[in-house]
Amino acid sequence: MPLKEALKCFSCFEVSRLCGRVLSELRSVFDVDVTELLSPYSELLFCSGLFTEVYLVSSELLGVVDVLRRSGRVPYCVGVYVGRFRGREPYLIPSTMLANTVFSRLGRYVSTVVVSDDGLKPFLYGRDILKTSVVKVYPKLRRNGIVFVVGSDGYVYGVGISLVDDLMIKDLRSNDVVVKNVFDVGWYLRGGTKPKEKKFKV
Amino acid sequence: MPFPKIDELVKLFSVDVSERARVLASRYGFRDYMVERYYMMFGDWDVVEELLKSFDRGLNKVVRCNTLKVSNCGYLVERLSRLGFTLRSVGWCGYAFEVLSEGFVSLGATHEFLAGMYYVHRGLATLLPPIILSPKPSDRVLDLAAGVGGKTTHLSQIMGGSGVVVAVDVDRVKVRALRSNLERLGVYNVVVVRMDGRLVPEVFGEGFFSKVLLDAPCTGEGIIQVDRSRRFKTDVVDLVRASQLQYELLMTALRSVCSGGYVLYSTCSIAPEEGEFVVDLVLNDFDGVEVADIPKIVDFYSGITEFGRSRFSDDLRRCVRTYPHVHGMEGFFICLLRKL
Repeated sequence: MPLKEALKCFSCFEVSRLCGRVLSELRSVFDVDVTELLSPYSELLFCSGLFTEVYLVSSELLGVVDVLRRSGRVPYCVGVYVGRFRGREPYLIPSTMLANTVFSRLGRYVSTVVVSDDGLKPFLYGRDILKTSVVKVYPKLRRNGIVFVVGSDGYVYGVGISLVDDLMIKDLRSNDVVVKNVFDVGWYLRGGTKPKEKKFKV
Repeated sequence: MPFPKIDELVKLFSVDVSERARVLASRYGFRDYMVERYYMMFGDWDVVEELLKSFDRGLNKVVRCNTLKVSNCGYLVERLSRLGFTLRSVGWCGYAFEVLSEGFVSLGATHEFLAGMYYVHRGLATLLPPIILSPKPSDRVLDLAAGVGGKTTHLSQIMGGSGVVVAVDVDRVKVRALRSNLERLGVYNVVVVRMDGRLVPEVFGEGFFSKVLLDAPCTGEGIIQVDRSRRFKTDVVDLVRASQLQYELLMTALRSVCSGGYVLYSTCSIAPEEGEFVVDLVLNDFDGVEVADIPKIVDFYSGITEFGRSRFSDDLRRCVRTYPHVHGMEGFFICLLRKL
């Protein structure tokens, strides 16, 4: 079991390389400058312990975080939770909170599959999305890239890894997996917050 | 003046239990000292019995439509109705709905819940503190004992997602749930800090916030409907310990708010020892604070000024109380303070 590390938070200025990578990942997924779109929540904040989490904060929130940091403390969470940074591609697993916010400001979906109610139910129990459940696809889907799972009501219910790209999907059989479940909002109910967050946050 | 010694308070809070109180306590499954105190509050055994009966009736849950994510709450009501729920709108809160009957699935397991379209409150009274504090988008608000975030997310909703809310709680499990509620409800003007609330002025400095909400940890004597164990699990010493923590937190809240700023103090308890007693001590001990008027959102009862051997400031009449047998909601004590 890895040792528990102290949680530390850094602004983009302090971790510029990491910042560049996250910005490029966000642009690649959403096809837009997210920091500009979500203004005034435009400042990236990295908090690292066992995992590196990324937040978008306003200058007002950043001011509060700075006061905390001066007394040797860090926030448990703050602002818009962008997602978790990881060591291999895709480097950033975006949160449903971010996706909902971006799509609502953007007024359209990107890298998204809309699924039927019958497909959404098992997805919310941690299952993958099969071709038969996909009602609509919003480009672009990239093989092994991030894809958002949206219900017929337009809300984002989870994030996954696409196993196909836009063009391949039509060649799949109805029971073939299109999206591998990475995170779904049913996780909150399955008690997932306990074991996962234990490792995830100090 | 320091907080009185525990022994002195145990003596002050202890009551001589009458035979009538013993009989009622045994009939309704309460500790007899609690029933005697209810008589001291109301001075009428019939009213006491009404109160004890009301604790048996249960509470209607309340759905707070999350206007940060749902632009038309009618749409949410329609969706929940299709799932078999019967909802009734709350007259004094346009985005809240009492749940009159449950649907085919639990309120906490619907797709609508998971998508963050609503928050479930255990009763109506928990909606009151954020509404009374009524923060503006320009405010910097502290939620001093944030718990799982029912009031934090409500504050943020009232602020339209702007401004800053700092949510503080020391409990690791509650903070984890708070975070998931923020993510689910799409609330992003919040900084969550896991720490002992009493350290806030040392960390942020005095007067850092323009408004503070302190829904203090309490014995829960107002929510016996949802937790039957509270009929017999607290004794006078627990009551004293609760008031001590409440006093310390309220003093902290007043140090944390700026001059001209407001502190809303509330407890989900009808015990005067956790309400008027605490506020009265703080009014004596903290220089430059006054009790502010509370808008008449519901037909509140006034705060009390006499209880057993204690006499409180007349200003405490401006504080308000709700009772389950009168208002059909949790028993709450709410007091709005203004720092001069």
